[in-house]
Amino acid sequence: MNPLSFVRRHPETATIALVALISCLFVALTRGQWLSVGNLQSLLRLAAVLAIMSFGEAIVIATGEIDISVGSTFGIGALTFLGLAPVAGSGLAVIAALVSGILIGSINGIFVALIGLPSLIVTLGTLFLFQGIAYAMTYGFSFAATDAVRQQLVYQAIGGSTLAGLNPAILWAIGILVGLQLLIFETSLGNRILAVGGDAISSYSRGVNVRKLKFGVFVLSGVLAAFSGGLEAAYIGYADGSFGALMELSAIAAAVLGGCHLSGGRISLVGTLMGAFLLCGIQSFLIILGFQPQWYILALGVIVVLASLVDRSLGRLIMKKLG
Amino acid sequence: MHRFFRRTDIGILIGCIFIFILFSLWNHDQWFNWYTFTSISRYTAILGLLAIGQTFVILIREIDLSVGSVYGAIGIAFISLEHQLSVPLSAFLALLFALTIGLINAVIVIHGRLSSMIVTLGGLFFYRGLVYVSTHGGVSGPPREARLDWFNQLLGGHWFRVENGFLLLLLVALLSGVLLYHMPFGNHLLALGGNSASAESQGVPVNRVRIWAFMICSLFAGLSAIATLANDPQTSVSLGTGLELESIAAVVVGGTLLTGGRGTILGTVLGAFFFTAVRSEMIAFGAPPSWYTSFVGIALLLVVTLNTVLSKRLTAG
Amino acid sequence: MDNRSELDGKVSDGVTAGSAPLISVRNICLSYGNFRALTDVSVDFFPGELVGLVGDNGAGKTTLIRILSGIIAPDSGEVYFDGQRITRFYPKLAIALGVESIQQTIGLCDNLSVTRNYFLGRELVRRIFGLRFLAKKEMRDICAKVVRDFGLREGIDVEDEISLLSGGEKQTFKIARAVSFRNRVIIMDEPTNHLSVRERGRVNELAVQLKQQGLLVIYITHDIFQIHRIADRIVILENGRKVADVLRDAMSAEELEEIIRHGGVGPRVP
Repeated sequence: MNPLSFVRRHPETATIALVALISCLFVALTRGQWLSVGNLQSLLRLAAVLAIMSFGEAIVIATGEIDISVGSTFGIGALTFLGLAPVAGSGLAVIAALVSGILIGSINGIFVALIGLPSLIVTLGTLFLFQGIAYAMTYGFSFAATDAVRQQLVYQAIGGSTLAGLNPAILWAIGILVGLQLLIFETSLGNRILAVGGDAISSYSRGVNVRKLKFGVFVLSGVLAAFSGGLEAAYIGYADGSFGALMELSAIAAAVLGGCHLSGGRISLVGTLMGAFLLCGIQSFLIILGFQPQWYILALGVIVVLASLVDRSLGRLIMKKLG
Repeated sequence: MHRFFRRTDIGILIGCIFIFILFSLWNHDQWFNWYTFTSISRYTAILGLLAIGQTFVILIREIDLSVGSVYGAIGIAFISLEHQLSVPLSAFLALLFALTIGLINAVIVIHGRLSSMIVTLGGLFFYRGLVYVSTHGGVSGPPREARLDWFNQLLGGHWFRVENGFLLLLLVALLSGVLLYHMPFGNHLLALGGNSASAESQGVPVNRVRIWAFMICSLFAGLSAIATLANDPQTSVSLGTGLELESIAAVVVGGTLLTGGRGTILGTVLGAFFFTAVRSEMIAFGAPPSWYTSFVGIALLLVVTLNTVLSKRLTAG
Repeated sequence: MDNRSELDGKVSDGVTAGSAPLISVRNICLSYGNFRALTDVSVDFFPGELVGLVGDNGAGKTTLIRILSGIIAPDSGEVYFDGQRITRFYPKLAIALGVESIQQTIGLCDNLSVTRNYFLGRELVRRIFGLRFLAKKEMRDICAKVVRDFGLREGIDVEDEISLLSGGEKQTFKIARAVSFRNRVIIMDEPTNHLSVRERGRVNELAVQLKQQGLLVIYITHDIFQIHRIADRIVILENGRKVADVLRDAMSAEELEEIIRHGGVGPRVP
């Protein structure tokens, strides 16, 4: 097969190659420290948590919409989990967290899919709304995992333990990735998601229930964001109202880096995973080198724009070569 | 007369009158005094200036998520320059910096063919990071003499108990309204927002109009920062964080439609006032700040729903 | 009849033989991604003639028109105006040169008033302190007069949003606008689409009047029979290529329809 068309069909390959290359660079520049066990463990965990949230974001973007409320959903998920775990056990707490994700996702879905409002504004509204609720929830209450909670099996399965040195979040991320990959690329549902992103009107005329689909996509995004919040909370054992602040922007950045077009119709979950990994990798790289964490934010800005530019022009270049 | 009622800002006008009356009846002593008026006018000016700039961008169906970070960056730049240059010159250069940021945003959007959301998102990160990095996390206030300088006194002082910052807002609002509805540029901008292909076919220089819109947006963000600092030179590295979302909320609640081409400066200013007034009342009642944040979210959702439903009725009928 | 040079000589009434073309396009090619919209199209247009541009959907008519209006640029080929080669063509330049097009889907902004739409890109200004302000009263009066002259419904207030007009009224308005500003070329893309029978007749009468006044009128349509009645010359595009360029008198409407149907069988074209 023509290498160029292979890359076009599987944009992940370019991203994976890029990430591999940059990783080598990091290792070299930090004299191996970047690849140290300790660093790698925390890096992989952070990336896994971000990736799970980014998967949901990527799917929303694939339908041509956007969800900037995931940061607040993350926070609500974390707070719900830690708030209920001491009282009702981790198992129920996890379920409650997922339900909170469904709730927030549904609100988004109703306004975007059923009423027809622009997703940027709707999710902006829910971002604010639930940010406020998250702060209100923590007003005067502490949300921390007690020792009893830390012993619970579910808690450990979510994130309060290590398996061969790796946090369970990593396994969760891989599992969710596989599940979603199958969903998007092997089922008709996935096909419809991409069709809607490509051209909502055409797919509607073909019988795709655009509304139901978009609604479902927002619910999925909410669930994944809440779950990732639970994972983070289980690892840290503590959560407050600022949990998840600005994370939505990182999630969008990861999706864009991974090759998702903001106009919809294209998605790469593996690419999104790579994107999340790259972002966290850059962050840890900067920290190791002694840069203040704020440099990461600056870098993030440049990366987001550069990645989009490259993705755009690469896409057009490939189209021209093939056409 | 019927055209009056089709204005996009009727809703927010009614809303503002409503809360004004409501707060006056409900909480007369705390609401109806100079102290409240001063603090409200001050914050309305800050948010309002930002939101007016954002209005220009939203009218052409774009968005500027970087205004909060630009606000911070220009503010910090202004203060830093004051240590070495005269105050007016510092302000001038800081505003020039703001214009440049707007130009960069526009150029990347137009020539990179990227969505303004992604580009200004990158800007949000970049300029915030720039602020952190160049100040090493700590910001010192402006030099003593600067605070007493005539320029800062002019911007930060008051005139018969009315905050000068608020007067600046009114002036900018007036000029912006004139620009938008009484000058050819404004017609071009509204046309571009309503139907970019039609505007282009009629000879409107669409790219140039876009560039100006983004530049105005960043400029006003910078202006807002300078006016804030002249008045209240306390500052921190996180100056402006979150303001971009509030500015969008003010614009949208003020009646400007996201479909482009429809909206007024008055609506935006009223939107800024609306949020500021509610926030002030909430604080007066002792509600924790998180309630205000949630309120913004709810108000945004409700108003956009209302606007969309109404505009669908209007254009269909 | 098949020879191009003969056609050059035999131009329509009102134009002397051998006069220079007002607009000339040579070897125009344009692709949208993989799709070849126009391939090697060369046409001359002369002042004072009414040229019918005919072809099936996707033949390239609208694309050619967009090139002539400066909206898009060809991938290759040249555009000449008044004998001068135009290297960078854009809408404002086209309008300044007197080329105005009436397209089907674009041309009006629903959020603007009738007056603002009328003067879009050509606003009347008055200068105060060197700044240009909209001369609203003058624009309103002129627009109202044009609207009346063209017989648009009486109840229209030119300060109302143009979205209040019906499809047919909007079309008539676009034509009124194109005609009223001093133009040399009027391009009409399916101008009679949303119009009633009576309005259709008026538009066609108008097109002929304009031609008689010395303007170049390029008239795109599907309806070969309709255009055959009023055009001086007919150009047929098919799949992005020019397949016929004949005087109206040279062929009957039926013969031309045959050409369209069979996509190119007929008079050879260089």
